[in-house]
Amino acid sequence: MQEIGSSNKWIGKIFMYAVMAFTVIVCTFPLLWVMVSSFKSNREILGNPFTLPTSINFEAYVNVFTQYNFLNYFLNSLMIAGCATVIALFIYSLAGYIFAKFDFRGKMLLFALCTITLLVPGHTKAQPIFALIMNLGLYDTKAGLILVYTSIGMALSLFILRSSFMTIPKDLDEAALLDGAGFFRTFWSVNLPLARSGLATAGILMFLNYWNEYFFALMLTTSSTNRTLPVALQFFDSAFAYNYTNMFAALTLTVLPGIIIYLLVQEQVQQSVASSGVKG
Amino acid sequence: MTRKRITNLWIALFLLPTIIVLAMFYVVPIATVFITGFTQWNGFNAPQFVGLENYIKLFTYDNTFAVSIRNLLLWSLIAGTIHVGFGTLVAFILYKRPRGWKVVRGVFMIPNVIAAAAWAIIYKFMFNDDIGVINNLIRGIGFENFHVKWFYESPAAFFAITFTWLFFAVYVCLIVLNDLMAIPKEVHEAAYLDGATEWQVTRFINLPLVRNAIGTGVILSVTSRIAMFEEIQLTSRGGPGNETYNISLMLYEGIVNYEYGYANAAGTIMILLGILVLVLINRLFKMNERVY
Repeated sequence: MQEIGSSNKWIGKIFMYAVMAFTVIVCTFPLLWVMVSSFKSNREILGNPFTLPTSINFEAYVNVFTQYNFLNYFLNSLMIAGCATVIALFIYSLAGYIFAKFDFRGKMLLFALCTITLLVPGHTKAQPIFALIMNLGLYDTKAGLILVYTSIGMALSLFILRSSFMTIPKDLDEAALLDGAGFFRTFWSVNLPLARSGLATAGILMFLNYWNEYFFALMLTTSSTNRTLPVALQFFDSAFAYNYTNMFAALTLTVLPGIIIYLLVQEQVQQSVASSGVKG
Repeated sequence: MTRKRITNLWIALFLLPTIIVLAMFYVVPIATVFITGFTQWNGFNAPQFVGLENYIKLFTYDNTFAVSIRNLLLWSLIAGTIHVGFGTLVAFILYKRPRGWKVVRGVFMIPNVIAAAAWAIIYKFMFNDDIGVINNLIRGIGFENFHVKWFYESPAAFFAITFTWLFFAVYVCLIVLNDLMAIPKEVHEAAYLDGATEWQVTRFINLPLVRNAIGTGVILSVTSRIAMFEEIQLTSRGGPGNETYNISLMLYEGIVNYEYGYANAAGTIMILLGILVLVLINRLFKMNERVY
C-alpha cells in the first residue's frame, strides 16, 4: 500500500513541476527568443532560429533610433501614458474620496454607473468617441489620446482608490477640521498622502494599460508625430521588410519598459488583480 | 453659508470631473451606439433612420457575420475549457506552494503586461515559415517538408490565433488562487480528520468552493474573446478570406469605411453578447448563491 502511495506522490510532484515548467516556458520563451535574436545578424536569424548570436551586436538598436525615429514614438508613448495617468489619478481620487467618505443622494447609483462601465468592451464605443474627438478638433493630437485614455481608467481606479480612502479613519478628518483645515486641505494634505499605496497601484495599472493601448491609438492618430509605440510597430513591420534584426530590436524596446515596471512592483499588480478581478 | 452647504458644494465639485467623463465617454457614446445602429450615417450628414437595415446587412450581406459568430462560439468554448482550465490548474498547483511557486506566479503575468500589439507581432514571427521557431522545430524533429504558413492558410490561421492567447490565463489563475487562499483552515482540518485524502479535499472541497472565481474567470476570458482585436488585425487580418474575422474587426472596418450606423449596429451586438455571457455564466455557475 505504502509503495503505491509514494509512487503516486512522485507522479503528482512530477506533474506539478511539469506544468510549472511549461507555464514558465510559454510565457518567457517568445520574449527571450526575440531579445536574443535582436543581437543576431539577419543572416544568422534566417539560418537557424535557435542559435545564440555569434557576437553581441548592438547595431540593430542603433538603427532603430537613427533610421526610424524610434525615440519620437517612445517619447510620445511615455508622454501620453504619463499625462493620462496623472490626470486620471487626480480626478478619480477626488471622486474616490467622496465615494468613500461622504453620503449624498444617488451615491450608490452613481458609483454603480461608474463601475458597470467595465462590462462594456471599450471598442464598442469606438465610433462615438472617434466623432467626439473629431468634433473637439483633437483628431491626430496627443491631447485627444490623453483625454480618451483618461476616461479608460475610470472604473478600475475608482474601485482601487475608493477602497483605499475607506481605510483612512474619519477621526483624522475631524481632527484636521478642528485644526482649521478646509475641505480641500483635509483631502490633499491628510487623506491623499495616506492613500499613496492605492494611488501607486491604480497608477501602475493605468500606466501599463495606456502604454500598451493599440485600438484607439490606431484610430485617433494618423501622422508619425503623434504615433505611439504599439502603432509604430506595425509600420516598422513593413518598413523593415525582411530586416528581422531591426524588428526584433524594436520589439524588445517596446516590451521592456512594461516588463521592468511590472517586475519592480509585482506584488501590487498581482494583489489588485486577485482582489478586484478586473483587468482595466 | 452653513458648513453643511459648503461641504455639499465641495462634494459636487469633487465629483464633477468624473461625472463629465462618465457622460462624455460612456453614457452618451453607449446611447449613441444603440440609437445610431438604426440609422444610416457617414459622419458628415445627419443620421437617417433606416430601421433594421444595418442589422439585416450585417446578417445577410455576406457570410462574414456568420463566420464571426462561429469563431466567437469556438473561441469561447476553447477559452471556457482549455484556457480557464489551464489557469485553474496552475492556481491549484501554486496553492500547494511548491518550490518556486512565486516565480511561476510572477512570470505568468508577463505576457499580460506587454502590449497585445507587440505580442501579436511576436507570434507572427514565431509562426513564420522561414525564421519562426514553431516550423523549424517541427522540421527539426523529422517532418522536413513541413511548411504551413500559419496565419495565411486555412484552417491553420484559426489555430495560430488561438495560440496567441490560449495559455496566458494569469487573470483566471490569480482570481482562483485568491479564493483558494481564503478557504478557512478549519474546513480542511475537519476533512482530514474524517479521513479524506488530499485528492478528495481538492476535488470535493476546494473545487466547489472556488466556483465563483472560476465563473468570473470564464466571464473575463469569454468577454475578452468578444473584444479581441490586435491578435487578429496584426496577424491574419481576418484572413484567409474572412475565415478569422470577428465582430471587433467588422466594427473597425465600418468606421474606416465611414459606415457609422453599420459599425454601431456591430457595437450593439457586442454589448448585448457581453451581457448575455454575464447572465449565462452567472446562472451556470450559480454565482449568486452563497458558497459557505
